[in-house]
Amino acid sequence: MASPVAPAGGTRNGASPEWGGFEENIQGGGSAVIDMENMDDTSGSSFEDMGELHQRLREEEVDVDAAAAEEEDGEFLGMKGFKGQLSRQVADQMWQAGKRQASKAFSLYANIDILRPYFDVEPAQVRSRLLESMIPVKMVNFPQKIAGELYGPLMLVFTLVAILLHGMKTSDTIIREGTLMGTAIGTCFGYWLGVSSFIYFLAYLCNAQITMLQMLALLGYGLFGHCIVLFITYNIHLHALFYLFWLLVGGLSTLRMVAVLVSRTVGPTQRLLLCGTLATLHMLFLLYLHFAYHKVVEGILDTLEGPNIPPIQRVPRDIPVAGLPIAVLNATSKAVALTLQPH
Amino acid sequence: MMQPQQPYTGQIFQPTQAYTPSTPQSFYGNNFEDEPPLLEELGINFDHIWQKTLTVLHPLKVADGSIMNETDLAGPMVFCLAFGATLLLAGKIQFGYVYGISAIGCLGMFCLLNLMSMTGVSFGCVASVLGYCLLPMILLSSFAVVFSLQGMVGVILTAGIIGWCSFSASKIFISALAMEGQQLLVAYPCALLYGVFALISIF
Repeated sequence: MASPVAPAGGTRNGASPEWGGFEENIQGGGSAVIDMENMDDTSGSSFEDMGELHQRLREEEVDVDAAAAEEEDGEFLGMKGFKGQLSRQVADQMWQAGKRQASKAFSLYANIDILRPYFDVEPAQVRSRLLESMIPVKMVNFPQKIAGELYGPLMLVFTLVAILLHGMKTSDTIIREGTLMGTAIGTCFGYWLGVSSFIYFLAYLCNAQITMLQMLALLGYGLFGHCIVLFITYNIHLHALFYLFWLLVGGLSTLRMVAVLVSRTVGPTQRLLLCGTLATLHMLFLLYLHFAYHKVVEGILDTLEGPNIPPIQRVPRDIPVAGLPIAVLNATSKAVALTLQPH
Repeated sequence: MMQPQQPYTGQIFQPTQAYTPSTPQSFYGNNFEDEPPLLEELGINFDHIWQKTLTVLHPLKVADGSIMNETDLAGPMVFCLAFGATLLLAGKIQFGYVYGISAIGCLGMFCLLNLMSMTGVSFGCVASVLGYCLLPMILLSSFAVVFSLQGMVGVILTAGIIGWCSFSASKIFISALAMEGQQLLVAYPCALLYGVFALISIF
């Protein structure tokens, strides 16, 4: 009969010592019964047995380690015996509780998935929203619709960062306390998040119907005008052109945002407060961005176009060789003097 | 069916050690001939690296979504070092900037792609794709060693290279994450990231 012996192969959860069939075959125990299943280790049926063997070897290792650890007198922070064990248990429990709290808080607040619905957009939608952000709509009796998405505004803020970086690099701006990248990111994100929060707070005071997400989206899309103006005027340095664009393009995007807010606010004072604040901040930001990172370029242009002075010119010094004794002059002056002497 | 039994050559009442389990992992170190090749152990597969490089260099070649399943950072590491080396040839010691911008850029793309795709994406995959698509930027910075990029030719060349890099990266991302119709939305942030690298090359 070549049928495999069932019991040894059938045990799955670590054979109990009473069976002994599998174990004793491996360890060469005193049984004369040979498990036919284990004779041929290339057959598929020994796969589970190999797995069991792995498990057993691993458990043995763990047991050995645990025994070794316990043999070290069971000390815990210098306290032996019962006190040590008790303190170890308390420390373990505290650790587990702390870990549980931390992971609960993390999964609640740092769950990035709550932002997932705001990034679900199509390219055509983004394009149409970009264009619409430059077109003010005159309907003020009913609340105007605001697209509640964050992809477009986030990309516009990053574009503004890139344009600022480009402008700073072309104008050789030197930032002493910090880096160019840090300054650009801080300025743009600070404006977007800070002014959105401030206007949202004012909207709360003025009882306007707008949520934080809508405010972020509105202001984000309003930066499209800023991107256009800065992109053009960082490359074409004409003051008149900048003021024209500031009024036209900046004004259009501000009007759009103002119209939306007016349609969502009741009462003339509240409307004036809210929209006046937003318009002022938005237009002044564009002015600031242009002039803060553009001054250096202006400086260089003035020097170059001044009265016929090339930027750097080496003029040979006129050293009065005849009037002074040679010993007073240093080596450089001596060399220069020698070259300047009439040949 | 029963396999033919070998004749039992031992003795009935003497146990014989007939079964020696050969575990695949623990016995590897024993035999020199049994060890896998070093590159296989390190996970560096030159053929796959070459395939991915070709995918980046041919902008019109259709990307295979499965090539990005294995996270391979050896190629991107080489490309970043080569980029830093070409910048060094132009007199700019900016390895720190390359490292910082690539780390922040990978983190940003990782967050964005996780938010935009139905299936998630691992950080290693994002870093690997962005690293491979840095290859055309190396061409730009080696061009900048000899010629200045601040004229009109430089602007056009830079724009072309940025477009090439971001097109390849977005092509691989959308084929790996099955995000049809959103290639432009993925390409734009890649273009911004490679634009910052281009700024380092130019100035």
